[in-house]
Amino acid sequence: MIRTTTLIGAAMAALMAAQALPALAKTPSDQLVIGMDMSSMRGLDPQELNQFEAAEIVANLYDRLVTLPADDITRVEPMLATSWTVSEDGKSFTFTLRDDVVFHSGNPLTARDAEYSLRRLVKLGLAPARDLTQWGLTAENVDQMIRATDDHTLVVELPEVWNSDLVLYSLASFSTSVVDSALVEENIQDGDSGRAFLQTADAGSGPYTLRTWRANDLLIAEAFEDYWGGAPAMTRVLLRHMPESTAQRLQLEAGDIDIATRLSSSDLDALSGNPEIEIQTTPGVGFYYIALNQENEILANPKVREAFRYLIDYDGLANSVMRYYGRMQQTIVPAGMPGALEENPYSFDPARAKELIAEAGYPDGFTLTYYATPVTPEYEIAQSIQANAADAGITLDLQAGDHIGDFRERNYEVFSARTGERLPDPHAVLQSYAQNPDNSREANLAGLMAWRAAWDVPAELQDLVTQAAHETDPARRTELYTTINRMYLESSSPLITSFQRLDARALRGAVDGYQGHTTWITSWHDVTKAE
Amino acid sequence: MTATLSRAGPVRRAWLPVLRKLGTSLAVISTTLLGLLVITFVVGRMVPADPVLAIVGDQADQAAYDRVYEELGLDQPLPVQFARYLGDVLRLDFGVSHITKNPVALDLARVFPATLELATAALIIGTLLGVPLGVLAAVHRGRWIDHIARVVGLLGYSTPVFWFGMMAILIFYARLDWVPAGGRVELYYEGIVEGPTGFLVLDAILAGEWEVMRSALMHMLMPALILGYATTAYISRMSRSFMLEQLHQEYILTAQAKGASRHAVIWKHAFGNMRVQLLTVIALAYCGLLDGTVLVETVFGWPGLGQYLTTALFFADMNAVLGAVLLIGLISIGVNLLCDIVYRMLDPRTR
Repeated sequence: MIRTTTLIGAAMAALMAAQALPALAKTPSDQLVIGMDMSSMRGLDPQELNQFEAAEIVANLYDRLVTLPADDITRVEPMLATSWTVSEDGKSFTFTLRDDVVFHSGNPLTARDAEYSLRRLVKLGLAPARDLTQWGLTAENVDQMIRATDDHTLVVELPEVWNSDLVLYSLASFSTSVVDSALVEENIQDGDSGRAFLQTADAGSGPYTLRTWRANDLLIAEAFEDYWGGAPAMTRVLLRHMPESTAQRLQLEAGDIDIATRLSSSDLDALSGNPEIEIQTTPGVGFYYIALNQENEILANPKVREAFRYLIDYDGLANSVMRYYGRMQQTIVPAGMPGALEENPYSFDPARAKELIAEAGYPDGFTLTYYATPVTPEYEIAQSIQANAADAGITLDLQAGDHIGDFRERNYEVFSARTGERLPDPHAVLQSYAQNPDNSREANLAGLMAWRAAWDVPAELQDLVTQAAHETDPARRTELYTTINRMYLESSSPLITSFQRLDARALRGAVDGYQGHTTWITSWHDVTKAE
Repeated sequence: MTATLSRAGPVRRAWLPVLRKLGTSLAVISTTLLGLLVITFVVGRMVPADPVLAIVGDQADQAAYDRVYEELGLDQPLPVQFARYLGDVLRLDFGVSHITKNPVALDLARVFPATLELATAALIIGTLLGVPLGVLAAVHRGRWIDHIARVVGLLGYSTPVFWFGMMAILIFYARLDWVPAGGRVELYYEGIVEGPTGFLVLDAILAGEWEVMRSALMHMLMPALILGYATTAYISRMSRSFMLEQLHQEYILTAQAKGASRHAVIWKHAFGNMRVQLLTVIALAYCGLLDGTVLVETVFGWPGLGQYLTTALFFADMNAVLGAVLLIGLISIGVNLLCDIVYRMLDPRTR
């Protein structure tokens, strides 16, 4: 008995000791703490990664030739390049670089480093290489096309004329970040172009340096005092891996983190009434979509495709799960870009859908398999569509799972998910949703949404998309995209868009100057915190 | 000739059984580990996750996809992939993780001490509370202490640890602000103490960083108590039934009849005889804790083995999965071997 009492006493004493300790410190005013889900991060090599969270980090460790301000993503601003000129034939860009930039290693940054980085991106040929290869640069021609003519001049030539804004937007992408060529060269292992090194190291000149990175745990970035744009106000930025949305919310409310990312819809709802918290939504270049495989005879019928547009409860979703995740949009050009349309001609109408499928020759409905990924809010949308389809006589056998691979290989009937591009231009969406030069299975153009839907896109529409990307006159471009946008809507595409994606973050009121960026290059340089 | 043999005879006879036993043990261990790797490899390949898409992103074109597919060696037939992996493992090269981009051995050296630290704390709590509670419940069978032990056991058994975790965070962190919400140490103390053991509390003491040690202890408090409670529940129920079994033996009557004190009957005679069984239970509990307690690690953001293995599985990071499974296999074998040795010390019959 005595022993029990002793044990209980000891336990009580331990608890009392815990109580007696003072409350733990909240985030200091010169440090920024961001909670994020790091589980999909795959390394920090700017020329290899293709991922939202890692892109934001790389954007702050490195600099690029030009940049796009978060509040006006179509205005190209100087970064490493102080000025640039486009040749009269529109094929050659000449950049003049700053002469006061040093890398974190202490090496000076010159046009040679920029040349090295851009060539590296193209030659590695990994996922983000598309940023340059789509303008005709290849591993074979890049050594002639991209060259530093002296330490402060970089020439970028293209085989064809493209709209110059498109090219400049690409040069603001995180993938074109300028790496310290001398440092990378020193760290090449077995001819790997420095890939093993850059995955976990920092060879940049950006406002922050990488202090510690422990995958799926923690990343610490420290202010670079010699930054050419002035040392940032936050001396450290700490990113903590917090896969649980609720944990992020509680720590944000308690002031242990300053910014929460990837919160669930219900946690965002819970935070929306808190006066100390601001919810920030950033539009993305992409859509929530339903894809109808055109290799399926039923789905190839235009009336059936049309019917699906009436099965989406646009208003219902907009007021519930999509409140922070999307902005209702049934057309194909994202809001605020050339050719965008404000109208949303379709409404939720299962009776109309039923009529359409009867007209299509299926008065008794039909049964199809529906693949969706079990993540918020994609799965909630899928469940809603499944229920609505049942009202119209369509049985959708909803199967949750990771079916992206099946979608890429056209092994599905109905699939829904969302896309996200990084180029702030209608072309980013249209080159994938409305271009499909060869619809045969053998062509295997798995990178294109239209090919995945087996959609033989009308030739006229494809030509217009190409024409608009080459067009240099802004007014004419807007006109072209307006035409394309209408044509896409009228063609009853098997890639049905319902919402333009938004990325939501919640910030403590004390944080100022943190603005989520549509092209993933959110900057920490100008962030400040009130005392 | 015969003379030499017969002279060497006794020596050989003395060494042979030991060698044979050692050989058998090694064969058993390597077969177990090999079997573990084969099963994990096959199961890992059936996980419906595409490591290539996780790297290139789902919008990537086929050329970029194919390139990474080849780089990961996935274009090779499965047996070839496995043989290559085995060959590397024999040279103690566990490959590189696709997720962390670090050598798997380096990752494990980072995450395992975190789990070991937490598991050991939980086991100490569980044993110190569970064994006396179970013994007392058995001795006072049907009385209030037994009822309390039963409720404690039932709650600990039937409530999922992540629920306790969430509740603890809601009450002790969000409402009362007594404890931190997660991680191993306050964010601002990160990077102050690094190594040599990987046990943060110990390292902080070695470095004389008392603030860091206090912070690390505070961070460990909730997860260790919750895991410790679950362990207490298990150990107390087992101790109770072992003790009851002993108390019904005739030797206990004999001991009582010859006038041994109650204390001596329980703690010397009965407890002495249940030690071997109890040890097995404690070893099993420790193995369970060391495998990584995924749920508690996730709720408390504890960067341990469980979280590492789960993330790796979700994203088909096979090198990381195989490395972690191999480590868990080795731990189980190690704990079992340790148990065997202690048995021999405790129980003369096993000698």
